[in-house]
Amino acid sequence: MLTEYAFWFLSFVAIFSALAMIFSKNPVYSVLSLILTFFAIAGHYFLLNAQFLAAVHIIVYAGAIMVLFLYVIMMLNLNRLEEDKKSTWMKFLSVAAGGLLLFVLLAVVKRTDEITITAQAANSDCGLVENLGKVLYNDYLLPFELASILFLGAMVGAVYLSKKELA
Amino acid sequence: MKELVITSLLGIGVLAFDILKLRKFILPLIVVGLLAVVGASIVDWGMNENLFGKNMIIMDNYALGFTSILCLLTLAWILTSTDYFTNEISRTDLYALVLFALCGGYVMCSYTNLVMLFIGIEILSIPMYVLAASNKRDMLSNEAGFKYFFLGALASSILLFGIALVYGATGSFQLDAIKNVLATAGSGTIMTAGILMIFTGFAFKVGIAPFHMWTPDVYQGAPTVITGLMSTMVKGAAFAAFFRLYYLGFTPTLEFTASIFAVLAGLSLIVANVMATIQVNAKRLLAYSSISHAGFMLAAVMTADSMNPRMLMYYVLVYGIASLTSFNVLYHVSKFQNGAEGFDAFKGLVKRNPVMAGAMTLSLLSMAGIPPLAGFMAKYFVISHILERGYTWLVIIMVLTSAVAVYYYLRIIVSMLTPIENAGRIVSTDSNRIGLLVLSIAMVAMFFLAAFV
Repeated sequence: MLTEYAFWFLSFVAIFSALAMIFSKNPVYSVLSLILTFFAIAGHYFLLNAQFLAAVHIIVYAGAIMVLFLYVIMMLNLNRLEEDKKSTWMKFLSVAAGGLLLFVLLAVVKRTDEITITAQAANSDCGLVENLGKVLYNDYLLPFELASILFLGAMVGAVYLSKKELA
Repeated sequence: MKELVITSLLGIGVLAFDILKLRKFILPLIVVGLLAVVGASIVDWGMNENLFGKNMIIMDNYALGFTSILCLLTLAWILTSTDYFTNEISRTDLYALVLFALCGGYVMCSYTNLVMLFIGIEILSIPMYVLAASNKRDMLSNEAGFKYFFLGALASSILLFGIALVYGATGSFQLDAIKNVLATAGSGTIMTAGILMIFTGFAFKVGIAPFHMWTPDVYQGAPTVITGLMSTMVKGAAFAAFFRLYYLGFTPTLEFTASIFAVLAGLSLIVANVMATIQVNAKRLLAYSSISHAGFMLAAVMTADSMNPRMLMYYVLVYGIASLTSFNVLYHVSKFQNGAEGFDAFKGLVKRNPVMAGAMTLSLLSMAGIPPLAGFMAKYFVISHILERGYTWLVIIMVLTSAVAVYYYLRIIVSMLTPIENAGRIVSTDSNRIGLLVLSIAMVAMFFLAAFV
């Protein structure tokens, strides 16, 4: 029962702060609402018994990425962003395109049969650190290792783009 | 496994050689390493190596074939554009990025698990975003990198959403497991939505109309040498992944998605060829030409259930060689006239550098599909197979748009033949001259080798 209340509360906070992030005129408020969204979603992960994912979500998104966002916004001094002038035609098109995707996804949700797996059947401990580590280092060892190439490539790229050219 | 290990170590080795002040040996190291990869894929041929036994990557003949093709294209690209990198101060970084991107290309043509597909695409894409923006002082290059990054990230997220939906519907990332579910239980609505989102993500990545908007801007803005890599290695890897997805996994869904494929292939051909005729910038023209070739390759993916994958390999290799040559010549031509990329820049090229003019003519005619050049056979394979499957209207579009393509390719050729007064020679390096000659010979030789496909 308590879990259910927590679920509704977290969902409400996540959706409300996501909307606030989109609609607020001040970029700093936007970022702060986004952090709130991330915390709410991390709460959902806790409810799903995925503590590790929740912790990583807070550390990486709310901790690192959002601080970076805030930092950049303060550096650029964008506190009062002018309303950007997009043509109504562009606005109409983007609303239509986004609306179509929403429509298709809603249709999918509506037409899908009810899921028959009961909560007890699934292994509720699969989100714990120990089990996650076992899966990661057994079944998903190769993608885990390959991700290092990805990060190395991204790192070299970031250094390349930001370093001063020696004439 | 060997191929991936060699190439990733090569990337790290290049960086290490730069630190150790062994810059002279970087190029030989890359050449030896990439040849070793081709050798390794010959050794591994037919072994179907399953890395770590976890069905993440299976190095079957399809994967090894594409691995060697991507590797050879990258090697040819590096050898023909050495002079770009001597001018470039941070060339080791660029070499390392290209090699890391190549690793992503290998993963994309050998995956059997959707997680690997996503990681492969990211490993390939992220270095390419940086490479597109690698001319830091040029606003257009910056814009290209930015645009490529944003639209690429959007496409990746749509793809990832699709993968998540497919996982939700089938409970597995494995291609064979997905195929089993599709064959036995059919596809529900979630599965359909997932497959269409994966398709959309791919259409973005390979530049299929109407998701092609970024292609001309990015191809034009990025440094010409990098554009050459984007339209060969990157495009080849993307289509290898696309074809493999439908060859090994989503085959049963082709029944109801084939019509979407066919319409988009036709649309790409029409949009690209019509837009290409009104271009005044040769680089932008080649970008539109690459969209029209994407239309051809999409038609090959559409018939992945019955098509011999070697035909797609042949297409990727042939288009890669032609595109590599044309972008390389364009780079040298525009370098010698302060970055001019219009048709006028090509004037008098026959006198100014006969090797380049010859290679450019062959590559353009090959892309147009004129015998006896390999491009003809590549298009022939696709068209004959599509005709067998009964897509007569698509074949008509293909033939008509190819005729239009001849017109705009000939515009460049005509301007190369137009004499121009007091123009100096365009000097090129030895490796460039030899590289262009080898590529030209390959374009003719591949026509006759097509019998073995």
